[in-house]
Amino acid sequence: MWRRRREALIGMGLLLPSAALVLAFTLFPVGYNVWLGFYAKHSLRATSAWVGLDNYAQILVDPDFWRSVWLATVYAVASTALQIVAGVAGALILHRRFPGCDFLRGVALFPYMIPTIIAVFVWRWLMNDLYGVIPYALGALAIPGMPEAWLTHSTIMWVLVVLSVWTFFPFVLVNVLARLQTIPPELYDAARVDGASPVGQFFNVTLPQLRNVLLIVLLLRGIWMFTKFDVPWLLGFGGGAGEAIRTLPVFTYQRSFTYYQAGMGAALSNVMLALLLMAVTLYFVAFPPEADENDA
Amino acid sequence: MREGAARRPRSHRGRPFSAAGAWALRLGLFVFCAFPLYWMVVSSLKVSHELLAAPPTLVPHEWDLRAYRKLFLETNFWTYFQNTVIVAVITTVIVIVAGVIGAYALTRYAFPGRTLVARLTLLAYMFPPIIMLVPLFLLAREFGLTNSLLGLALTYISFALPYALWILRAFFQSIPIELEHAALVDGANRAQALAYVVMPLALPGIIATAIFTFIVAWNDFLFALVLIGKDDLKTLAIGINDFFHMAVVDWGLIMAAGVMVTIPALVFFIAVQRYLIAGWGAGGLKG
Repeated sequence: MWRRRREALIGMGLLLPSAALVLAFTLFPVGYNVWLGFYAKHSLRATSAWVGLDNYAQILVDPDFWRSVWLATVYAVASTALQIVAGVAGALILHRRFPGCDFLRGVALFPYMIPTIIAVFVWRWLMNDLYGVIPYALGALAIPGMPEAWLTHSTIMWVLVVLSVWTFFPFVLVNVLARLQTIPPELYDAARVDGASPVGQFFNVTLPQLRNVLLIVLLLRGIWMFTKFDVPWLLGFGGGAGEAIRTLPVFTYQRSFTYYQAGMGAALSNVMLALLLMAVTLYFVAFPPEADENDA
Repeated sequence: MREGAARRPRSHRGRPFSAAGAWALRLGLFVFCAFPLYWMVVSSLKVSHELLAAPPTLVPHEWDLRAYRKLFLETNFWTYFQNTVIVAVITTVIVIVAGVIGAYALTRYAFPGRTLVARLTLLAYMFPPIIMLVPLFLLAREFGLTNSLLGLALTYISFALPYALWILRAFFQSIPIELEHAALVDGANRAQALAYVVMPLALPGIIATAIFTFIVAWNDFLFALVLIGKDDLKTLAIGINDFFHMAVVDWGLIMAAGVMVTIPALVFFIAVQRYLIAGWGAGGLKG
């Protein structure tokens, strides 16, 4: 009994530094943000006034807010879906060993490792309306109806999605590849004996085995794409054609630092937090986590 | 049992496509991933008029280091580079020291509320940085931590630490506790068991986590954008962003900056690839 109490005290003592840091730098700011959402506050000046739910009332009737939610949804759904398709395809290509396999695995991960700002600026250059190599190559194909310039109001969302898939699909690839390597070969042997075609094997063996990892990847990528600020901001700077990719995080940033409405910015962040908590709750209700293996 | 069934070569999916088709897919993956990077490198090495030539040249006719001279002689690139390293190192050291101790406590000691802490860590791991934009900015102003590299590093802790705790906890969980028990039975004390049994096994995971933490700090744009205004305190992300707001956008210069930021990342990446693979199994990516 005494020994167990001593154990518990040591454990809590060791946890203290990280718990204190998480409390001070993560949980306290999130709580502070909830409180800020009830204030009209200037981002730089000291003025602030309690306005209750006014910020939220204003948000709900603001067409720009609803537009930003719509754009963030389009962006999150399109880029997440394509990342998963590209990531699974890439993992299947890299799954079996071949000469140069390790090299190609390294290359395939690299888009994820380079800083976001470099990825975005390289794509702005690739897609440049006057000098871009991709618009030039696409123009040479002479497909009817193909736009000549891509960083325009009507097409910039496509560029944003493609660039995001390029940057983030390695995340899916890595997680799926790690899982693929652990599927017992016997399952495929059994399917082959039953006469399953390669396509049939993919749908009847591979996909069910990948189910859990794909669900986790879908949740994480969906949340992170919906709340992605730097990629849409750096591609469009919020203005000009960028107006067509002013997603909810960009809108939140502009409220806070272009219009200096800190209270409104906080309220918008809280809306994102609420959506995040809803997504996580739904996820855990639908897929209850297994009991913690180390719990006594 | 039929002979041979168990030791058939690992042709998991039969012959889904011919060898040529497989190589075409591999080539496609390679071009998709590598072409943008190739284009960055050649664009940084072209002379100005060739950079803007139509049709674009796949291989430069004339090689030129003008963009690199300009980058190092006429911009503050080197200052930005040093600042980024400083901030990333401060963040990584604090996060790893606190995270390793905390994750060890979470997996090796039983105490009330442990599961709750683990769940909260998972939730905090999912937190997107944008949610903490306004409060961290206002708090940093309150405590005089704007225009400060330390202040920037402290804000990175807010999302890097929960993330490190989560991955490190998975690593420590994967080390069988029986090994420690065996060491204790053999007469080692707890500190010795930690130093000689747990740490060597946990090291790849700790290194992988340190790399991921470093990358989180290295790549951040949002917090540097709102917290740093002074040019000599800027990090690479916001310093390079400024190149875009010059009177004439010099694409060669921007691509050269991209190459110079990518090369250290590439060298680093190749050097530690072994540890990164250890990290992937534990779900160690974010962003």
